[in-house]
Amino acid sequence: MRSPLLRLLMWLGVFGAGAYFGIRHHVFAGTLAVWLSAIATLAIYSILYRENVVFRFFEHVLVGLATGYGFYIVITQVLEPKWWNPLALEHKWYWVFALLVAAMFYTVYSKRWSWMNRLAVGTFIGLAAGYGMVGFVTELAPQLKASFKPLWSHSAPYVQANSLLFFITIITVMSYFFFSFEQRHPVVKGSTRLGRWLLMVAFGAIFGNTVMGRMSLLIDRLEFLLHHWLRIFGGA
Amino acid sequence: MGRDSQFWSRRVIWLALAIATAAFLLVKVKAVMYVSKPARDIYDAIEAVPASKLIVISCSWAPGTIGENGPQTEALIRHCFKAGKRFAIFGFVDPAGPGLGQAIAERCQAQYGRRYGRDWVNWGFNIGGIPMIRGWAKNIPGTIKRDIFRKPITSRPVMAGIKTVRDIGLVIEITPSLSLQTWVDFIYGIYRTPIAYACTGVMGPEAFPFYDAHQIVGVLKGLAGAAEYEQLMGYEGDALKRMPAQSSAHAVVIALIVLGNILYLRARRRGEAPERRLGGS
Repeated sequence: MRSPLLRLLMWLGVFGAGAYFGIRHHVFAGTLAVWLSAIATLAIYSILYRENVVFRFFEHVLVGLATGYGFYIVITQVLEPKWWNPLALEHKWYWVFALLVAAMFYTVYSKRWSWMNRLAVGTFIGLAAGYGMVGFVTELAPQLKASFKPLWSHSAPYVQANSLLFFITIITVMSYFFFSFEQRHPVVKGSTRLGRWLLMVAFGAIFGNTVMGRMSLLIDRLEFLLHHWLRIFGGA
Repeated sequence: MGRDSQFWSRRVIWLALAIATAAFLLVKVKAVMYVSKPARDIYDAIEAVPASKLIVISCSWAPGTIGENGPQTEALIRHCFKAGKRFAIFGFVDPAGPGLGQAIAERCQAQYGRRYGRDWVNWGFNIGGIPMIRGWAKNIPGTIKRDIFRKPITSRPVMAGIKTVRDIGLVIEITPSLSLQTWVDFIYGIYRTPIAYACTGVMGPEAFPFYDAHQIVGVLKGLAGAAEYEQLMGYEGDALKRMPAQSSAHAVVIALIVLGNILYLRARRRGEAPERRLGGS
């Protein structure tokens, strides 16, 4: 009696050999890719019915593929051209220091040498904080400036209404996030309440956009299944 | 409501959505889009790029958002091909992005008589985040070095005269994330190079503070943004074909929200559902 693992490996071997032959000889590469995509799509969508083994298998395949692809890209497009080639082919010996700095991150696993990891991490945190300061000046300062919209101007009425709405929103929402004192005064209470409602409107807009995005992904997959796989109406 | 009916009601909702969407993919309905100003602004920005400068199409997306970022990338690449603008595909966020952009450009180039290396190039995926972008701004050939086919980028005719960010006419960030900030903070903020943003629907609302502050020249928001761009370009691509299905799905979602609220109010009147207040406690 063969074990389930052995049977799975056997099937994977047969499937892999068939796929390799097909791709190698360009016999059915396109068809195979379409069928594989269709099976993977249906397997992932099977979670909509309930949690199952097929979904979990394809979920793991996806994670494995993404990791493998990322690893391949890092080797071929980053480490080899940007580090190994300058070091080994162009004899720029100072690139060896990049390896030493990178190795410092792995000292986290040693109690004795973990201080080296803190040096590397601390340096990167400092860099990120510095870049954050630049971002504050170049990104947030112009946005703050742009938030000062004129309430009375000679522009079209809808522009003025927009500016007024913007002003009310920014004041009421900021008052909602003002926690330095208890919000007892009726004006402050009313302002924070309106601010909370306006935040809900903003969250609703974000949620609506999220739904739109998710529907676009569903449409993409349905179009693939109907047109490219089943070839119903205008298939490729 | 019993556990069985709760179990099946969700499945029925998903099935209704699938049917409503699939129906409009099978029946041909022509979508007519109103082209918003943020989308038109990107179109005008591409048209305004002089021949001496290069457009950078930063593909920071992966197959997970191909439904939105795919049609956006195709519409923008087609515009560059049609208008005869030189461009470079680039990636610094997701390793899959430049490969996906490459596939789209290769599929479209013959229709416009364009060729890799002469009219466009792919710089591939470049790691290093902000420091890399800062180095790139000062020395493009020195930072990118080789294209996706591992050939020196300086050997490609399309790269003639492209040395620093001053030779870049427009950067278009296509992304499901807020990777736009890197471009705004370190490229627009310092060098004033125009930036355009093509994002997924969920990122749309967060784009408008940048647009209002003139830090980006325009916004393409989700599939609808791609459809608007196709309308501007005068061709019916994936986005325009999919918009009726998108609208149909939205109609079903709205109907289900209304129905859900009616059922909830009925249950509350009967004392079967607890009263809820807006915003939690």
